[in-house]
Amino acid sequence: MKVIIIGAGEVGFHIASHLARENKDVLVIDKNADALRRVSDNLDVQILQGSGSSPVVLEEAGLRSAEIMLAVTNSDEANLVACLVANIVSPATKKLARVRNADYDTYHETFREQAPNIETVINPDIEVVKTIHGMMKVPGAVDVGEFAEGRIKFVGIYLDEHSPFNQVKLMDLPGQLGGIRPLIAAIMRDEELIIPRGKDQFLAGDLVYFITASEQLEETLAVFGKQEAPLKSVLIIGGGRIGYRLAALLEDEPFTCKIIEKDPAKCDKLAGRLNKAVVLCGDGSDQNLLAEENVGDMDAVVTLTDDEETNILASLLTRRMGVRKCITRISKFSYFPLMTTIGIEQVVSPRLSAINSILQHVRRGKVLSAMSIKGEQAEIMEAVAMETSAIVAKPLRSVGVPKGALVAAIMRQEHIIIPSGETTIQPDDRIIIVARREVIPQVEKILAVKLEFF
Amino acid sequence: MHWRHVFKVVGVLTITLAFTMVIPLLVGLFYRDMSVRPFLMAIAATLAGGIALYLAGRVDRSAFVSQREGMAIVALGWVVAGFFGALPFYFEGEFPTFVDALFESVSGFTTTGSSVLTNIEAVSKGLLLWRSLIQWLGGMGIIVLGIAILPFLGVGGMQLYKAEVPTPVPDKLQPRIRDTAMILWKVYALITVAQVIALWAGGMSLYDAVNHAMTTLPTGGFSTKNASVAQFDSLYFDLVISFFMILAGINFSLHYQLLRGQTLAFWRDSECRFFLGAVLVLTLVVSFDIWRSVYATMGEALRYGLFQVVSIVTTTGYATADYEQWPAMSQLILLLCMFLGASAGSTGGGMKCLRIMLCFKFCYKELFSLIHPRAVTHVKIAGKTVPDDVLRSVLGFLALYMGLFGFCTVLLAGLGVDMVTAFGAVAATLGNIGPGFGMVGPVENFAQIPYLGKWLLIWCMLLGRLEIYTLIIFLVPEFYRK
Repeated sequence: MKVIIIGAGEVGFHIASHLARENKDVLVIDKNADALRRVSDNLDVQILQGSGSSPVVLEEAGLRSAEIMLAVTNSDEANLVACLVANIVSPATKKLARVRNADYDTYHETFREQAPNIETVINPDIEVVKTIHGMMKVPGAVDVGEFAEGRIKFVGIYLDEHSPFNQVKLMDLPGQLGGIRPLIAAIMRDEELIIPRGKDQFLAGDLVYFITASEQLEETLAVFGKQEAPLKSVLIIGGGRIGYRLAALLEDEPFTCKIIEKDPAKCDKLAGRLNKAVVLCGDGSDQNLLAEENVGDMDAVVTLTDDEETNILASLLTRRMGVRKCITRISKFSYFPLMTTIGIEQVVSPRLSAINSILQHVRRGKVLSAMSIKGEQAEIMEAVAMETSAIVAKPLRSVGVPKGALVAAIMRQEHIIIPSGETTIQPDDRIIIVARREVIPQVEKILAVKLEFF
Repeated sequence: MHWRHVFKVVGVLTITLAFTMVIPLLVGLFYRDMSVRPFLMAIAATLAGGIALYLAGRVDRSAFVSQREGMAIVALGWVVAGFFGALPFYFEGEFPTFVDALFESVSGFTTTGSSVLTNIEAVSKGLLLWRSLIQWLGGMGIIVLGIAILPFLGVGGMQLYKAEVPTPVPDKLQPRIRDTAMILWKVYALITVAQVIALWAGGMSLYDAVNHAMTTLPTGGFSTKNASVAQFDSLYFDLVISFFMILAGINFSLHYQLLRGQTLAFWRDSECRFFLGAVLVLTLVVSFDIWRSVYATMGEALRYGLFQVVSIVTTTGYATADYEQWPAMSQLILLLCMFLGASAGSTGGGMKCLRIMLCFKFCYKELFSLIHPRAVTHVKIAGKTVPDDVLRSVLGFLALYMGLFGFCTVLLAGLGVDMVTAFGAVAATLGNIGPGFGMVGPVENFAQIPYLGKWLLIWCMLLGRLEIYTLIIFLVPEFYRK
């Protein structure tokens, strides 16, 4: 499968890296030679220097033979024009574009049906706000993902030293848990991802990912000692596009919301557009301002300025002042491994969100959603089992699920089944699979439709 | 620097090399003209060496292959291949000392084609096939072959590819480096088979046809005959071999484009036009020069002129005539051809046409800006601006090449070799050509070069094949600093 990526920035680079590792034919187009050099030095992909919205460049890149084109440059306009030109050059190619301006929000459908025929418009801001909202609803968790329209939750929690499960083996877990049965899908330990087996044990400091039905989430968190009172008051630092979106979303819910923004002009605009939220003009890392506004009594702080260093500092500062929960926006991927060390547990990134939503569209078979977990070492995929795919109609043990992948849950109509080796997947079941990066191509293969010979 | 990763990769390459040794062994068994023991010993030693390297190494999952490691893998890979490739020669007993066997092996892998054998026809058929086979493997590159057939080299393959493929700007034909390597090898093998058929159809024995095709395509130049191609004394063979030498001197991505149906691929590429033009003009000049002074008819002059010019400029090194008997001008033209070399991305050696073209264009740009001091000018190839860093590395390469040439000539002369021989031998080995001038001319060979001189020339051949940077970087102390 050939994929053309326009834009060699952070998003383009990481998508290319994901896809190249999965043995797809990737070609990256960018105007900037330095950005391209970074791509070609590190990844096994082809590069082409030029403008992604030029028909000549797209022809040269072989757009006609490409299955998917991703326009992920920094500029909305460049992405839209690239899709428009691509639609003329090769209408058959599936087009995805990253568009961040909120003005386009209501036109996403129109773009699909009319002129540029963009299959999916991805607005990472929307995705990020969704992620933050999910995190705020589950205060004890570090990472929250939703599958099956929210009926299944994928949750990551830190195991601290006081946890009752410290040094408990996985196979002894059901005895201790009693009725509820969360499925432990993955453990992150010292940057290393483990798909656990019965003999593995929990250690303090692990980031444990489990899958559970939404109704059982509260109970499960309680068992892990992570149940916390719901959040009531939130401080948002940074009133940019994402800050505004979040504040507007929270206004409809029982939250007290304050928002701090440096730029008076932006504050003016925010105050005009928001009704209940308190708009404060000032520096988010100004200790006096924070003390004045009683930050210590707030439940949560979300730092969303464009400057990630400011975000990190503001989070650390407010945490010291007694805030229970900090969500920090980071853009540079190289900072991710540092975050746990300096005590920032919850991180969001518009870029990571963009990558996640693009990945699910690139996947073969009927993959409904996909999410990559911290450090990008593994992915969780939700897919529909099709009648002709290899995974269907035989017990799981004989399907040949590759090592490093795990069928974590099966949704059959309204029931959620936690599978064992004997379970048989039926057509139209929805399945949730956790897979290490290396085995994703094999997982795709067992999900995909087999060629039928008649 | 992850040395253990380097060892692991080189170990696997060495094990692969051990398996290729089975081919000449089988051929030898078929012709029943050699003893099996030396080959079995060589295979065992190579396997043992490969496994030892493999066990000494460790694949570091997290570490990606940086440019440094890429260069280390390629350089070490070539040295190790040269060493183990020499074992069949050494164990067979045709070579008096190990350095002679090593010289022959490195000359093979680097596609130089300089030989220390005085009586080639006395050597067994199996061993001669090994001699041709290592040229064929070295031509497109052992590392590129590794990338094509060993999946685990795919990650970081681009670094290896850049370090081995002789071109200032490597083109990637396919998004994945493994596919690119595979295409290059397939095209290479296809043209080789075509030449085998062309030679066989002309009446050459299948064994000789295979050997000559396997040394023409890599622009190697090892022959199975004492007098090289001259022994056949056939116009048909001269023309067929000339034709395939020219093909081998053209960028292989152009062959790929041609096979994909772009009939004008050769014409559209400015380097290819330059290369073909140079072959044409130089052939005419040389033929005119040797007409009457050496050969009675223009036809004969053209036949030998063409073959010799093509053989030298593509850095193959076959001989149909003793060009040392030719007038001085023709000899000097051939000497300059040794420096010119074939196209970038071909299997030929030398400085490469592309670099010479860039150098000319750069000089013109400098002159132009003397006339128009405020003019903004770019060096362009086929209408596209050549980035400054590429230009700089090309000029640096030319300077290093000439500098090394001078240095090695002086060293060789210091070992007691006469001036013409020293010039010829270094030019011929650094450019991976084969025969030189003086004592190492087309009818003599390198057996008379002193012991230390052979070591020096072995390094010259490796330097030439890996385009200097990849090998010489090991002499820079900065390379080893943490």
